[in-house]
Amino acid sequence: MKTTTSSLSAFGDSSIQTPSKSRIRQGCHSAGPNVSGDHINLVSSSMPSFPILQRSSEEKILYSDRLTLERQKLTVCPIIDGEEHLRLLNFQHNFITRIQNISNLQRLIFLDLYDNQIEEISGLSTLRSLRVLLLGKNRIKKISNLENLKSLDVLDLHGNQISKIENVSHLCDLRVLNLARNLLSHVDNLNGLDSLTELNLRHNQITFVRDVDNLPCLQRLFLSFNNISTFESVCCLADSTSLSDITFDGNPIAQESWYKHTILQNMMQLRQLDMKRITEEERRMASVIAKKEEEKKRESQKQSLLKEKKRLTINNVARKWDLQQHRVTSIAANQDRKDSDSPSQDPCQVDGSTISAFPEETGSLDSALSNALQGLSVTDTHLVEVDGDTLSLYGSGALESLDRNWSVQTAGMVTTVSFTFIEFDEIVQVLPKLKIKFPNSLHLKFKETNLVMLQQFNALAQLRRIDQLTIDPQGNPVVSFTLWKYYVLFRLSHFSMQKINGTEVTQNDMIMAERLFGILAHVASSELPQYRLISILGDARKKQFRYLLETKGKKPGVVSEENNDSKRLVGENTNRATLNYTTRDFYNEKLEEIKEKKKFCKMYIEDLVKEATEINMKNEALQKLWPQMFIELVRDAVIEIRNKSSYMKLCLQQITDQK
Amino acid sequence: MATERAGTWLPEAGKLELGSCCGPRMLSPERLALTDYEYLAQRHVLTYMEDAVCQLLENKEDISQYGIARFFTEYFNSVCQGTHILFREFSFIQATPHNRASFLRAFWRCFRTVGKNGDLLTMKEYHCLLQLLCPDFPLELTQKAARIVLMDDAMDCLMSFSDFLFAFQIQFYYSEFLESVAAIYQDLLSGKNPNTVIVPTSSSGQHRQRPALGEASMLEGVEASLFYQCLENLCDRHKYSCPPPALVKEVLSNVQRLTFYGFLVALSKHHGINQALGALPDKGDLMHDPAMDEELERL
Repeated sequence: MKTTTSSLSAFGDSSIQTPSKSRIRQGCHSAGPNVSGDHINLVSSSMPSFPILQRSSEEKILYSDRLTLERQKLTVCPIIDGEEHLRLLNFQHNFITRIQNISNLQRLIFLDLYDNQIEEISGLSTLRSLRVLLLGKNRIKKISNLENLKSLDVLDLHGNQISKIENVSHLCDLRVLNLARNLLSHVDNLNGLDSLTELNLRHNQITFVRDVDNLPCLQRLFLSFNNISTFESVCCLADSTSLSDITFDGNPIAQESWYKHTILQNMMQLRQLDMKRITEEERRMASVIAKKEEEKKRESQKQSLLKEKKRLTINNVARKWDLQQHRVTSIAANQDRKDSDSPSQDPCQVDGSTISAFPEETGSLDSALSNALQGLSVTDTHLVEVDGDTLSLYGSGALESLDRNWSVQTAGMVTTVSFTFIEFDEIVQVLPKLKIKFPNSLHLKFKETNLVMLQQFNALAQLRRIDQLTIDPQGNPVVSFTLWKYYVLFRLSHFSMQKINGTEVTQNDMIMAERLFGILAHVASSELPQYRLISILGDARKKQFRYLLETKGKKPGVVSEENNDSKRLVGENTNRATLNYTTRDFYNEKLEEIKEKKKFCKMYIEDLVKEATEINMKNEALQKLWPQMFIELVRDAVIEIRNKSSYMKLCLQQITDQK
Repeated sequence: MATERAGTWLPEAGKLELGSCCGPRMLSPERLALTDYEYLAQRHVLTYMEDAVCQLLENKEDISQYGIARFFTEYFNSVCQGTHILFREFSFIQATPHNRASFLRAFWRCFRTVGKNGDLLTMKEYHCLLQLLCPDFPLELTQKAARIVLMDDAMDCLMSFSDFLFAFQIQFYYSEFLESVAAIYQDLLSGKNPNTVIVPTSSSGQHRQRPALGEASMLEGVEASLFYQCLENLCDRHKYSCPPPALVKEVLSNVQRLTFYGFLVALSKHHGINQALGALPDKGDLMHDPAMDEELERL
C-alpha cells in the first residue's frame, strides 16, 4: 500500500507495500460477478449491486490485517466478508462514490480512500479504533459524521470542496489535519483539537485566521497560497506559544515591505518561516525596525494630537470672536434697523464662514487619540504659535505673549507676524513691543481684525519696517474700499513696500498713491499752525520737524541730499507724520479730559467779556457824559477865575493847606 | 446733540428775534437790542476765543516756548485761512458756519484728486476720507448726504466725487435748517397747517418721511408754492443759517410739485447757493485748484 503522507511513518508501519499489490493489478477486472483473480475473488452476491470480496486463505493468513484494493476500478465499496481482523484498508485510486459496507471492520485503524469520488463522509460510525483516515482528492463538501472516531490521529481531507471547518472539536487525539486545496475562506472553530500538531491549510482562500491560540500543541501551520494580507487577520498566532513553523508564501502579505519583521517581531517563538530557519541576525533586525516604527507611530500620534488641539483652540477663538462681533444671535437681538445699514452687521445670520475657513481636518482619529482628546481643555481662549519664520497670534489674549522672554534666536528668525481674531485697536497698542521684540518682522498679516477705516493704517507707520502687508478681506471691511491700497502706499511710503496682499507694488501704484493723497500730506504739514504740528507730533520729533520745515523752501535739487539725510534720521516722510491714528477709546478719553478745560475756558472768557462789556459801558457812558462834564469843568473854572483877587487868595490858601 | 448744538449757537435764545448773520446792518435796531454778550456769541467771537484759550491750555509747555502773542496770531490767522479745523474734533468743526465752510473747503482741496481720478466710491469710503480729516465725524451725516445723492435708494451705490461733495455741503452746512424743512414737509404731506411753530427735534424728522410717500395721494410730493411760503417763514425766524430766500424761491419756482429729496438735490445743484456759501468752486471748476498746484510746484 502506498504511503500517502510522510507522517505515516510515525505509525510504525513503514513499507506497507505488499506483494499482493502486483497480484491485484493483474487480477484487476471490472468489479463484476465471477471475477476470478488469483487470490481475490469478487463474486456476485445475493445483493445485486455490491460485489463480495473473497481472499484466499493463504492471503488471509499472510496479510491478515491489511487489504489493498487500489486501482480496482471499483465504483462501490465491496462487501468484505470474514475479515473482521482487518486493520489496514486501502481503496486508493478508485471510483467509489460512497463509503459503505465497512461497518463490520471494527478493528480498522487505517482507512485510505485517496483519489475517489466520495461526496460525503459517512459509514464510519462503527470504526471506533480508526486512527488514520485519508480522504484526499475526493468531492467532499462538508466535514461531518466523524463523531465516533475519537481515536483519530491523522485526518487528511486535502483536495476536496470543504468550505468550513466544523464537527472536529471532539477529535482530541488528532495530531495532523490536512485541509489543503479546499474552499476554506477563513479559519475558526478550532477548539477541542488539543493534540493537533500540524495544520495544513495551503491553497485555500483564507483571509483570516482565528482561534489558533486555542490549539495548545500546534507546532506547524502551513498557510501558503491563501489570501492573507494583514497581520491583524492572523493576529491570534502571536498568542500561540507552541508554534514554531509557519508558512505564508503565496499570500499578499508576503509581498509587503513590513512582512518579515512584523511576523518576526510578533511571533518570537518561531523557528522557521516559509521553510527557512530564522537567524539571530534576522530577529535582531526585526526588533530594531519594529521599535522604529513604534516610535514613528507615537510621534505622528503626538503630532495629530497637537494639531487637533490647535484646531479646537482656533475654533474656540473664532466662536468667541463671532459672538463679540454680534454675528451670531444667541439672543433675539432686535437691533435698530437704521443702524445696521452696513451689510457686515446682519444680526439674523449666523456667519458660518468664519468657522468654515478652518475646515475640519477629517482625518480619522484613532480611538486612542480621541480618548486623549477628551482630556483637552477647550476653554483655551487664545493661541500663540511660532512656526519657523512665522509668529501666529489668535485671539486678543495672545497679545500678552509678546511680553514673554523670547530667545534671541527664535525672535530673530521671525519674519512674518500674523494676527487673527484680534481687534486692530488692541494690536495698535502692542506695536511698539512688537518692534522691539521681533525686530526682523517684515511681513504683517491681518485677518478678522476689524480694520474699518483708512485712518487705522496710520498706526502702522511707527514700525521699523514693513516689506509686505496682507490684509485678508475676511473680517476687514476696509479691503472693500477702492482706494485702500493707495492709501497704504501713500502713508507708509517710507517703507517702500514690495507686496500688498500678494501682488507686487509697481512704480505706477506708488505714483498713483502720491497723486491721490499727496495734497493731504501737504495740507497736513504746511497748513497746520506750528503749535498744532508740535502737539500732534510730540516731543521727540519737534526739533527734527522744525529743522525740516525750515529747509523746505529750498530748491528740490539742493534739498534732496539734505532731505535724504534727515529722512534717515527721522525714518519717515515727515510731511505725513501728522497723520496719526488714535484708537477710538483713547480719543474719547482725551475728549472727556478736555471737557473740564473747556468749561473753565468758557467761564474765563465769560468773565473777560463781562469785564470788557463793563468797561465798554463805562466808556460809552463817559462818551455820552463827557461833553456835559467838559462844559461844567470849563464853567467852573471860568467862574473861579472871574474874581482875580479872590481867586489868588484861594490858590494861596490851597498851597498853605497842602503843607 | 441738538441741545448741545443749541448751546454753542446761542446761550440765551429768548431775546433774539432775527437770525440772519450776513449783511452789515451795523446800526440796525435789532443788532443794538442785543446785549454785548449775545452779540459776541452770535458772531461766534466767543467760540473762537474759548477755543483759543483751550488750545493754549492744552499745549502750554510747547507754546510757552515761543510766546503767547505769537500763538494767538497763528491761531486767528489759521481761522482766517480756514485751516483751523484740520484734524479737530467734530464738535468744534460743527460749531460755527465758518468752521463748516472751512471744513468743506479743506475736504475739497485735499481730495479733489480723488475726484479727478474718476473713482466712484461708496458712502462708507467717503466717510473714511472724512474721518482722515476729522476722526470722530459721525456716520449719520455722511449717510444723510448719500441719501440726497442716491434719492434714498440703494445705499450701497457708488457716487461720484462732485455729486457727493455738493450734497454733503448742503447736508452739513445747513443741517439744522434741513431738519426743520423735513418736519415741514411731513406736515404738508399729511395736510397739517404748516404755519404753526415747529421745534425741530433731533432726528425724527428725517425718519418720518421715508415710508410716508407710499400712503400719499397719487400726486407725489408737495405743492411748490405752498412749500415755499412755509420755508420763507422758516428762514425769517430761524436762528441757524439758511440759504438765501431769494435763491430758494428760484429753486421752487421751476416746478409745480416736488418731493423732499427732489428739493435737496435741487439745492445741492444750484450754483447760486454754492456761491452764496462760498466754500466750494463751481462744479465745472471743481477739479482745478491753481493755488494748490502752484504751491506744490514750488516744492
